[in-house]
Amino acid sequence: MKSLPARLLDSIASAAVREGLADAVYTRLETPIGRLLIVQGERGVVRVGFPEEPVDALLAQVAARLGSRIVASDRELGNTRDVFSAYFDGDDERLDLPVDLALVRSDFRREALTLLRAEIGPGQVVTYGGLAAKVGRPRAARAVGSACATNPVPIIVPCHRVLPGGGGVGGYAGGPARKRLLLAHEGAAVG
Amino acid sequence: MSAVVLPPFWSLVEAHGGELLVHARRMTGDANGEDVLQDALLRALRAYPRLRHAEHLRAWLYRVTTTTALDHLRARRREVLTDEPPATVSEPEHYDNAFDSLIAELPDGTQAALRLRFVEDLDYEGIAARLGCSSVAARQRVSSAIRTLRRQGVPA
Repeated sequence: MKSLPARLLDSIASAAVREGLADAVYTRLETPIGRLLIVQGERGVVRVGFPEEPVDALLAQVAARLGSRIVASDRELGNTRDVFSAYFDGDDERLDLPVDLALVRSDFRREALTLLRAEIGPGQVVTYGGLAAKVGRPRAARAVGSACATNPVPIIVPCHRVLPGGGGVGGYAGGPARKRLLLAHEGAAVG
Repeated sequence: MSAVVLPPFWSLVEAHGGELLVHARRMTGDANGEDVLQDALLRALRAYPRLRHAEHLRAWLYRVTTTTALDHLRARRREVLTDEPPATVSEPEHYDNAFDSLIAELPDGTQAALRLRFVEDLDYEGIAARLGCSSVAARQRVSSAIRTLRRQGVPA
Protein backbone atom coordinates (compact mmCIF):
# COMPACT_ATOMS: atom_id res chain seq x y z
CA MET A 1 0.00 0.00 0.00
CA LYS A 2 1.27 3.40 -1.00
CA SER A 3 2.10 5.72 1.87
CA LEU A 4 0.67 9.20 2.21
CA PRO A 5 2.17 12.14 0.27
CA ALA A 6 4.83 14.01 2.31
CA ARG A 7 2.86 17.23 2.01
CA LEU A 8 -0.17 15.66 3.69
CA LEU A 9 1.92 14.02 6.41
CA ASP A 10 3.51 17.42 7.16
CA SER A 11 0.13 19.08 7.31
CA ILE A 12 -1.28 16.45 9.69
CA ALA A 13 1.75 16.56 12.00
CA SER A 14 1.77 20.37 12.16
CA ALA A 15 -1.95 20.46 12.91
CA ALA A 16 -1.42 17.91 15.68
CA VAL A 17 1.33 20.02 17.24
CA ARG A 18 -0.69 23.23 16.85
CA GLU A 19 -3.67 21.68 18.62
CA GLY A 20 -1.54 20.34 21.45
CA LEU A 21 -2.24 16.72 20.47
CA ALA A 22 1.37 15.53 20.17
CA ASP A 23 3.22 14.08 23.16
CA ALA A 24 6.44 14.08 21.15
CA VAL A 25 7.72 14.88 17.65
CA TYR A 26 10.58 13.16 15.87
CA THR A 27 12.79 13.87 12.89
CA ARG A 28 15.61 12.09 11.08
CA LEU A 29 18.72 14.08 10.30
CA GLU A 30 21.64 13.13 8.04
CA THR A 31 24.95 13.97 9.72
CA PRO A 32 28.64 13.12 9.20
CA ILE A 33 28.28 10.39 11.85
CA GLY A 34 25.18 8.88 10.24
CA ARG A 35 21.47 9.38 10.27
CA LEU A 36 20.32 10.49 13.72
CA LEU A 37 16.81 10.15 15.09
CA ILE A 38 15.88 13.12 17.27
CA VAL A 39 12.79 13.02 19.48
CA GLN A 40 11.51 16.10 21.23
CA GLY A 41 8.77 16.47 23.85
CA GLU A 42 7.13 19.54 25.24
CA ARG A 43 10.06 20.24 27.56
CA GLY A 44 12.94 19.54 25.22
CA VAL A 45 14.91 16.89 23.37
CA VAL A 46 14.22 13.60 25.11
CA ARG A 47 16.07 11.11 22.90
CA VAL A 48 18.78 11.06 20.26
CA GLY A 49 19.23 7.72 18.48
CA PHE A 50 22.11 6.37 16.42
CA PRO A 51 21.34 4.67 13.08
CA GLU A 52 21.83 1.17 14.53
CA GLU A 53 19.04 1.58 17.07
CA PRO A 54 15.71 0.13 15.88
CA VAL A 55 13.29 3.04 15.44
CA ASP A 56 10.27 1.12 16.76
CA ALA A 57 11.98 0.21 20.03
CA LEU A 58 13.34 3.71 20.44
CA LEU A 59 9.94 5.37 19.92
CA ALA A 60 8.28 2.79 22.19
CA GLN A 61 10.73 3.81 24.89
CA VAL A 62 9.69 7.44 24.48
CA ALA A 63 5.99 6.50 24.33
CA ALA A 64 6.20 4.62 27.63
CA ARG A 65 7.39 7.78 29.34
CA LEU A 66 5.78 10.69 27.46
CA GLY A 67 2.72 9.10 25.85
CA SER A 68 1.97 7.40 22.53
CA ARG A 69 0.82 10.43 20.57
CA ILE A 70 4.08 10.66 18.67
CA VAL A 71 4.26 12.25 15.21
CA ALA A 72 7.05 12.88 12.70
CA SER A 73 7.80 16.35 11.38
CA ASP A 74 10.95 17.92 9.97
CA ARG A 75 9.17 21.26 9.90
CA GLU A 76 8.10 21.31 13.56
CA LEU A 77 11.64 20.43 14.62
CA GLY A 78 13.21 22.91 12.20
CA ASN A 79 15.05 24.85 14.91
CA THR A 80 16.39 21.68 16.53
CA ARG A 81 17.62 20.46 13.13
CA ASP A 82 19.33 23.81 12.51
CA VAL A 83 21.11 23.69 15.87
CA PHE A 84 22.39 20.16 15.13
CA SER A 85 23.50 21.19 11.65
CA ALA A 86 25.34 24.20 13.10
CA TYR A 87 27.17 21.80 15.43
CA PHE A 88 28.24 19.45 12.65
CA ASP A 89 29.14 22.34 10.32
CA GLY A 90 31.37 23.77 13.06
CA ASP A 91 29.43 27.05 13.11
CA ASP A 92 28.25 26.73 16.69
CA GLU A 93 29.28 23.76 18.80
CA ARG A 94 27.27 24.58 21.92
CA LEU A 95 24.14 22.58 20.92
CA ASP A 96 22.12 25.08 22.87
CA LEU A 97 18.80 23.21 23.08
CA PRO A 98 16.36 22.45 25.88
CA VAL A 99 16.85 18.87 27.08
CA ASP A 100 14.44 16.63 28.96
CA LEU A 101 16.13 13.84 30.92
CA ALA A 102 12.83 12.01 31.50
CA LEU A 103 14.29 8.76 30.17
CA VAL A 104 17.12 8.70 32.71
CA ARG A 105 16.40 6.18 35.41
CA SER A 106 18.11 7.42 38.56
CA ASP A 107 18.82 10.71 40.26
CA PHE A 108 22.53 9.98 40.34
CA ARG A 109 22.64 9.43 36.58
CA ARG A 110 20.56 12.54 35.98
CA GLU A 111 22.89 14.56 38.18
CA ALA A 112 26.02 13.24 36.46
CA LEU A 113 24.63 13.97 32.97
CA THR A 114 23.43 17.44 33.93
CA LEU A 115 26.80 18.33 35.38
CA LEU A 116 28.65 16.90 32.40
CA ARG A 117 26.63 19.02 30.02
CA ALA A 118 27.05 22.17 32.11
CA GLU A 119 30.77 21.88 32.75
CA ILE A 120 32.55 20.04 29.96
CA GLY A 121 32.32 22.14 26.81
CA PRO A 122 33.41 21.41 23.23
CA GLY A 123 37.13 20.65 23.00
CA GLN A 124 37.33 19.63 26.65
CA VAL A 125 37.46 16.10 28.07
CA VAL A 126 37.09 14.58 31.54
CA THR A 127 37.77 11.11 32.96
CA TYR A 128 35.03 8.86 34.38
CA GLY A 129 36.66 9.25 37.80
CA GLY A 130 36.97 13.01 37.35
CA LEU A 131 33.27 13.35 36.56
CA ALA A 132 32.41 11.12 39.53
CA ALA A 133 34.44 13.45 41.76
CA LYS A 134 32.55 16.45 40.39
CA VAL A 135 29.25 14.78 41.34
CA GLY A 136 30.68 14.32 44.84
CA ARG A 137 31.14 10.52 44.58
CA PRO A 138 34.83 10.11 43.67
CA ARG A 139 34.63 6.30 43.88
CA ALA A 140 31.65 6.06 41.53
CA ALA A 141 33.56 6.02 38.21
CA ARG A 142 31.73 2.83 37.15
CA ALA A 143 28.34 4.36 37.94
CA VAL A 144 29.30 7.35 35.79
CA GLY A 145 30.20 4.86 33.06
CA SER A 146 26.68 3.39 33.30
CA ALA A 147 25.14 6.85 33.20
CA CYS A 148 27.02 7.50 29.96
CA ALA A 149 26.26 4.09 28.47
CA THR A 150 22.52 4.73 28.96
CA ASN A 151 22.56 8.45 28.11
CA PRO A 152 19.29 9.00 26.18
CA VAL A 153 20.51 12.21 24.53
CA PRO A 154 24.05 11.56 23.28
CA ILE A 155 25.96 14.38 21.56
CA ILE A 156 23.80 17.02 23.33
CA VAL A 157 24.82 15.59 26.70
CA PRO A 158 28.44 15.04 25.68
CA CYS A 159 29.34 11.56 26.94
CA HIS A 160 31.85 11.40 24.07
CA ARG A 161 33.96 13.80 26.18
CA VAL A 162 34.25 11.31 29.05
CA LEU A 163 37.35 9.12 28.77
CA PRO A 164 38.96 6.30 30.78
CA GLY A 165 41.69 7.38 33.20
CA GLY A 166 44.09 4.85 31.72
CA GLY A 167 44.14 6.34 28.21
CA GLY A 168 42.33 5.63 24.94
CA VAL A 169 38.77 6.71 24.14
CA GLY A 170 37.01 3.85 25.93
CA GLY A 171 33.46 2.78 25.10
CA TYR A 172 30.62 4.76 23.61
CA ALA A 173 26.90 4.15 23.07
CA GLY A 174 27.39 4.96 19.38
CA GLY A 175 30.65 2.97 19.10
CA PRO A 176 34.26 4.14 19.70
CA ALA A 177 34.70 5.22 16.07
CA ARG A 178 31.96 7.84 16.44
CA LYS A 179 33.44 8.94 19.75
CA ARG A 180 36.77 9.59 18.03
CA LEU A 181 35.07 11.47 15.19
CA LEU A 182 33.17 13.72 17.57
CA LEU A 183 36.28 14.45 19.63
CA ALA A 184 38.33 15.18 16.51
CA HIS A 185 35.54 17.40 15.19
CA GLU A 186 35.65 19.40 18.43
CA GLY A 187 39.43 19.59 18.33
CA ALA A 188 39.95 17.72 21.60
CA ALA A 189 43.41 16.21 22.19
CA VAL A 190 42.98 12.46 22.67
CA GLY A 191 45.71 9.90 23.15
CA MET B 1 -1.01 8.33 30.35
CA SER B 2 -3.00 5.13 29.75
CA ALA B 3 -2.06 1.82 31.28
CA VAL B 4 -2.07 -0.06 27.97
CA VAL B 5 0.96 0.17 25.75
CA LEU B 6 -0.12 1.69 22.46
CA PRO B 7 2.24 1.89 19.49
CA PRO B 8 3.54 5.37 18.62
CA PHE B 9 0.69 6.97 16.68
CA TRP B 10 2.82 7.78 13.65
CA SER B 11 3.65 4.12 13.05
CA LEU B 12 -0.09 3.56 12.49
CA VAL B 13 -0.23 6.52 10.12
CA GLU B 14 2.75 5.15 8.17
CA ALA B 15 1.34 1.63 8.06
CA HIS B 16 -2.31 2.42 7.21
CA GLY B 17 -2.38 6.04 5.95
CA GLY B 18 -2.39 5.07 2.27
CA GLU B 19 -5.38 2.75 2.45
CA LEU B 20 -7.25 5.16 4.74
CA LEU B 21 -6.82 7.91 2.15
CA VAL B 22 -8.25 5.61 -0.52
CA HIS B 23 -11.19 4.91 1.79
CA ALA B 24 -11.76 8.63 2.55
CA ARG B 25 -11.64 9.46 -1.18
CA ARG B 26 -14.10 6.75 -2.09
CA MET B 27 -16.54 7.98 0.52
CA THR B 28 -16.25 11.72 -0.06
CA GLY B 29 -14.66 12.18 -3.49
CA ASP B 30 -11.09 12.73 -4.66
CA ALA B 31 -11.10 16.44 -3.92
CA ASN B 32 -12.12 16.01 -0.28
CA GLY B 33 -10.28 12.86 0.72
CA GLU B 34 -7.14 14.51 2.09
CA ASP B 35 -9.03 17.03 4.23
CA VAL B 36 -11.32 14.34 5.56
CA LEU B 37 -8.38 12.06 6.38
CA GLN B 38 -6.51 14.86 8.18
CA ASP B 39 -9.61 15.60 10.21
CA ALA B 40 -10.08 11.90 10.95
CA LEU B 41 -6.48 11.39 12.09
CA LEU B 42 -6.67 14.41 14.40
CA ARG B 43 -9.87 12.97 15.89
CA ALA B 44 -8.10 9.65 16.32
CA LEU B 45 -5.17 11.38 17.99
CA ARG B 46 -7.54 13.07 20.44
CA ALA B 47 -9.09 9.75 21.38
CA TYR B 48 -5.88 7.72 21.29
CA PRO B 49 -4.85 8.05 24.97
CA ARG B 50 -8.32 6.89 26.03
CA LEU B 51 -8.17 3.58 24.15
CA ARG B 52 -8.33 0.71 26.59
CA HIS B 53 -6.54 -1.85 24.47
CA ALA B 54 -4.16 -1.95 21.56
CA GLU B 55 -6.04 -4.44 19.40
CA HIS B 56 -7.77 -3.87 16.07
CA LEU B 57 -6.20 -0.43 15.67
CA ARG B 58 -6.47 -0.59 11.89
CA ALA B 59 -10.20 -1.32 12.11
CA TRP B 60 -10.57 1.46 14.65
CA LEU B 61 -8.89 3.95 12.28
CA TYR B 62 -11.26 2.83 9.51
CA ARG B 63 -14.23 3.48 11.81
CA VAL B 64 -12.96 6.95 12.76
CA THR B 65 -12.38 7.75 9.08
CA THR B 66 -15.85 6.48 8.13
CA THR B 67 -17.51 8.56 10.86
CA THR B 68 -15.55 11.65 9.84
CA ALA B 69 -16.46 11.10 6.19
CA LEU B 70 -20.16 10.77 7.08
CA ASP B 71 -19.99 14.01 9.10
CA HIS B 72 -18.35 15.66 6.12
CA LEU B 73 -21.10 14.44 3.78
CA ARG B 74 -23.78 15.70 6.18
CA ALA B 75 -22.14 19.11 6.44
CA ARG B 76 -21.81 19.29 2.68
CA ARG B 77 -25.47 18.43 2.23
CA ARG B 78 -26.47 21.21 4.65
CA GLU B 79 -24.30 23.56 2.62
CA VAL B 80 -25.98 22.51 -0.60
CA LEU B 81 -29.47 22.84 0.89
CA THR B 82 -28.86 26.35 2.16
CA ASP B 83 -27.08 27.52 -0.97
CA GLU B 84 -28.64 30.37 -2.92
CA PRO B 85 -29.75 30.51 -5.64
CA PRO B 86 -31.44 27.10 -5.64
CA ALA B 87 -30.12 26.39 -9.12
CA THR B 88 -26.81 25.40 -7.57
CA VAL B 89 -28.50 22.66 -5.56
CA SER B 90 -28.56 20.21 -8.39
CA GLU B 91 -25.20 21.26 -9.77
CA PRO B 92 -23.07 18.17 -9.65
CA GLU B 93 -19.74 19.99 -9.29
CA HIS B 94 -19.18 18.55 -5.81
CA TYR B 95 -19.46 15.04 -7.10
CA ASP B 96 -16.75 13.26 -8.87
CA ASN B 97 -18.63 10.74 -10.93
CA ALA B 98 -21.98 9.51 -12.01
CA PHE B 99 -22.22 7.03 -9.17
CA ASP B 100 -21.88 9.79 -6.59
CA SER B 101 -24.55 11.97 -8.11
CA LEU B 102 -26.80 8.92 -8.50
CA ILE B 103 -26.75 8.18 -4.79
CA ALA B 104 -26.42 11.77 -3.57
CA GLU B 105 -30.04 11.97 -2.38
CA LEU B 106 -29.84 8.86 -0.20
CA PRO B 107 -29.14 9.01 3.54
CA ASP B 108 -25.42 9.24 4.39
CA GLY B 109 -25.20 5.82 6.02
CA THR B 110 -26.81 4.29 2.95
CA GLN B 111 -24.43 6.12 0.63
CA ALA B 112 -21.51 4.81 2.62
CA ALA B 113 -22.82 1.25 2.47
CA LEU B 114 -23.34 1.50 -1.30
CA ARG B 115 -19.84 2.87 -1.88
CA LEU B 116 -18.32 0.13 0.20
CA ARG B 117 -20.32 -2.50 -1.68
CA PHE B 118 -19.98 -1.28 -5.25
CA VAL B 119 -16.90 0.96 -5.31
CA GLU B 120 -14.70 -0.83 -2.80
CA ASP B 121 -16.28 -4.16 -3.70
CA LEU B 122 -16.41 -5.34 -0.07
CA ASP B 123 -18.54 -8.25 1.12
CA TYR B 124 -21.15 -7.66 3.82
CA GLU B 125 -18.76 -8.72 6.57
CA GLY B 126 -16.31 -6.09 5.37
CA ILE B 127 -18.98 -3.40 5.09
CA ALA B 128 -20.19 -4.24 8.60
CA ALA B 129 -16.68 -3.89 9.98
CA ARG B 130 -16.19 -0.49 8.38
CA LEU B 131 -19.58 0.87 9.43
CA GLY B 132 -19.62 -0.68 12.87
CA CYS B 133 -22.89 -2.57 12.34
CA SER B 134 -23.86 -6.23 11.93
CA SER B 135 -23.46 -7.87 8.53
CA VAL B 136 -27.25 -8.45 8.47
CA ALA B 137 -27.78 -4.71 8.91
CA ALA B 138 -25.20 -3.97 6.21
CA ARG B 139 -27.00 -6.31 3.77
CA GLN B 140 -30.37 -4.69 4.60
CA ARG B 141 -28.97 -1.22 4.06
CA VAL B 142 -27.59 -2.11 0.65
CA SER B 143 -30.67 -3.98 -0.55
CA SER B 144 -33.15 -1.33 0.60
CA ALA B 145 -31.03 1.33 -1.10
CA ILE B 146 -31.11 -0.64 -4.33
CA ARG B 147 -34.93 -0.89 -4.05
CA THR B 148 -35.13 2.88 -3.54
CA LEU B 149 -32.93 3.53 -6.59
CA ARG B 150 -35.07 1.13 -8.68
CA ARG B 151 -38.22 2.98 -7.63
CA GLN B 152 -36.56 6.16 -8.85
CA GLY B 153 -36.01 4.52 -12.19
CA VAL B 154 -32.31 3.88 -11.83
CA PRO B 155 -31.35 0.59 -13.47
CA ALA B 156 -29.56 -0.65 -10.34
